[in-house]
Amino acid sequence: MIHFTNLSFTYPGAEQPALDNVNLDVPAGDFALLVGPSGAGKSTLLRCLNGLTPHFSGGLITGEVRVAGLDPVAASPAGMSTHVGFVFQDPEAQFVLDRVEDEIAFALENAAMAPQEMRIRVEETLDLLDLAHLRDRPLTDLSGGEKQRVAIAAALALRPPILVLDEPTSQLDPKSAEDVLTALVRLNADLGLTIVLAEHRLERVLPFVDTLLYLPAQGAVLSGDPRDVLAQTALGPPLIRLGKAKGWTPLPLTIKEGLRFVRAEERSLGTAETAVEERSFGATELTVQNVEGGYGRNAVLKGVSLTLRGGEVTALMGRNGAGKTTLLRSIAGLTRPARGHILLNGEEITQKPVAEICRRIGYLPQNPDNLLFAETVGEELDITLRNHGLHPGQGGAPPVEPMALLTRLGLARKADAYPRDLSIGERQRAALAALLVTKPEVLLLDEPTRGLDYAAKDALTALLRGWRDEGLAIMVVTHDVELAAQLADRVIIMSQGEIIADGPPAQVMGASPLFAPQVARLYPDTGWLTVEDVLGAENQK
Amino acid sequence: MSERLFIHPLAWLIWLLAAVAVLTVTRNPIYLGLTLLWVGLTYAIVKRFWRESAGAPIFSPLAFALFVILVSTIFNGLTVHVGRLTLFTLPPSIPLLGGKVTGEALLYGALNGAALAGLFVAFAVVSRVVGVRALIRLAPRAYYAAAVVASIAVTYVPATRRHFEQVREAQAIRGHAMTSTRSWLPLALPLLIGGLERALQLAEAMMARGFAGTPEEETPLYPRLLALAGLAAILAGWLLRLVWQQALPGGTLMLAGGVMLAIALRETGRRHPHTVYRPDAWTPTGLLVGLAALLTLLLFFLPVPGLSRESIYYYPYYQSLWPDFNLWLGLATWGLLAPAAALIFDVMRNEE
Repeated sequence: MIHFTNLSFTYPGAEQPALDNVNLDVPAGDFALLVGPSGAGKSTLLRCLNGLTPHFSGGLITGEVRVAGLDPVAASPAGMSTHVGFVFQDPEAQFVLDRVEDEIAFALENAAMAPQEMRIRVEETLDLLDLAHLRDRPLTDLSGGEKQRVAIAAALALRPPILVLDEPTSQLDPKSAEDVLTALVRLNADLGLTIVLAEHRLERVLPFVDTLLYLPAQGAVLSGDPRDVLAQTALGPPLIRLGKAKGWTPLPLTIKEGLRFVRAEERSLGTAETAVEERSFGATELTVQNVEGGYGRNAVLKGVSLTLRGGEVTALMGRNGAGKTTLLRSIAGLTRPARGHILLNGEEITQKPVAEICRRIGYLPQNPDNLLFAETVGEELDITLRNHGLHPGQGGAPPVEPMALLTRLGLARKADAYPRDLSIGERQRAALAALLVTKPEVLLLDEPTRGLDYAAKDALTALLRGWRDEGLAIMVVTHDVELAAQLADRVIIMSQGEIIADGPPAQVMGASPLFAPQVARLYPDTGWLTVEDVLGAENQK
Repeated sequence: MSERLFIHPLAWLIWLLAAVAVLTVTRNPIYLGLTLLWVGLTYAIVKRFWRESAGAPIFSPLAFALFVILVSTIFNGLTVHVGRLTLFTLPPSIPLLGGKVTGEALLYGALNGAALAGLFVAFAVVSRVVGVRALIRLAPRAYYAAAVVASIAVTYVPATRRHFEQVREAQAIRGHAMTSTRSWLPLALPLLIGGLERALQLAEAMMARGFAGTPEEETPLYPRLLALAGLAAILAGWLLRLVWQQALPGGTLMLAGGVMLAIALRETGRRHPHTVYRPDAWTPTGLLVGLAALLTLLLFFLPVPGLSRESIYYYPYYQSLWPDFNLWLGLATWGLLAPAAALIFDVMRNEE
């Protein structure tokens, strides 16, 4: 169905090719997963499937691409639209109209389909994606998962035999992501639709994948059976890493498969205790006392109380709408609580100006791009210092040497780069640098791993651990249970504006069906959350 | 949210055209007041039963109306020093503002402000009830691509508002404060770049779904020449009527121009293959609203034997403060009440 032969592509003005001599095959009806580090060219490769590359981007393409028997370069994206449906990362950025049904019909109207046939086609598509009950709803009223399902429906309205998706779940919470992936699996199984999906979170998708395509930053594309490809690469969710470390063959792709190996093991490990690390706390103490409030009359927070201490990473988890982001915004002063107090080291900060609060409390919102606007990364740090009157040019003394901070964040060589030219992980670190240059005592991060690949996630984890060890109080709002398991010293779960659980990760996450990481599902009642916990216990034994 | 009654988008546009035309042409306080009342009533009812659409105004229409009336009254009062009813006098040494401040100037300023406010509210009504898709459908097929682009621009307004708020907060986190005009840079740049990025993503998505801005078949020369000739005929006819008072030849020329333009659009549209999913249907209520608005236009603008339109024009500086009134023109403004009446009737019927 899809054949790439010696395909190379270079963007206009670029010195290096974005794709270099790519060869791959995806049979008809396969569910293919495309993985690889950020910047390896996954989006470019996907856009070759319908001719967006090079028709939209320009550039030089060599080699051969055949998709459904056609050459997308010759056919053009409009010509390929009946053969390849394309879904992008951000559902909102791809909507043309404002209602579910109209959005689905848009492509059919463009194709001048007869009204009767169009009516049938829209009904079928609504049913396929389980959207019939939402047909008259404005798109702005839908959840993230529903929006992405509408985007898939809109892409499928012309009944293309191939569906291509570029990280469609990267902007979604786990439940919405699950809904989207379930829909894809159904489309693949029931209709025999060929699916090519680029995705960072392998643990969500691997169980359903027929072909795994690994696009490295350099070197040849690996493709084939997921187990074979995973065995040759360093990437993988905890289950795969554990399977490799323990030599499980064939590599398990699901928890069910992994449990077979675990049950076959000697269960003497079962009662082993992980060493509880004694932590010393820093001097910082952020106290939230009975905070209530939200947006207008809508009380999102209902009497939230907690204390964050220096030298501790707290993971704040919970469903969408539980009040996690509102709590962070309240601490940062962006949403004023209706009741309650927020104290930093005993000093009331509840009604202080945002700038004054954020000099002492760094807050990284979900989209770090909104923070970046300067010509260079270095200038971003200077601007923050100037905003706070700390720039040497204003007679101030920066609490942190900007270059030293950039070096620590791995951005020293990018100091003169334009921030928006960086990869997503680098952009996030540049935004962190712009916040941390005032040396805040508390750091709040909202979904920091969204859209990051495994390498970028590991780099962020290492950075946060380092700052924690230096006495920073850190709170991370995340849906990423593996990150929480890896990083957190304490986990708080929120529901309906209240804290419903607060304690060590093993205690809060270990027994939770919703928040348990893969290792906890493999080894219940052991307190193990990460691959390192399991291997450490084995070594002790 | 409840969308109780469907009125064809074209009927709403005719209603808007009538409201805009009346509000633009008359400064008679009675006609203006009646028109404002009907438009305001329609807005209040529409606001109750229609949710906010993508193109909804940023400001509250009532607050905007009061603001515009106030500013217009003060501005006119302070800058136009004509009239018999002198309220007080500013020192003549003050440039532009110096001189007597008269009741007539304040009144005329308030009337201008009221007309502007009425226009804003009328557009607010239509932006609430006519969706993006309906606007695209109303465009001639030849201009389908342009209509899609225009509709996207409409839906970008709320998205840009949300994005602006996110950027403002993100910069506040970095200690940003508005101190000078340069302070807008940290807000404007991410907003602009983010907007461009979204526009590029949307363009990609539209191409991937088979949308082509240019037709596959190039439009031949003759429809383009016909359109040009049609426009020229309309302009010439209008000049004949206006400058040389040749009503019949001018009107005939304008009609011929309109026909030529229609043929040209039809010919061009044939080269833009496009169908419509679930086309909007005309209902008796929609017809009634459209006809009522046409009647308003007819009585205010087309020649009707025996109907004097002198009272439309009101200029308080040189005439009695009490305006003239023509019953037929006063009744004509009631045509703008048709959608509100139809909606109230529908609500009452449903409640029964």
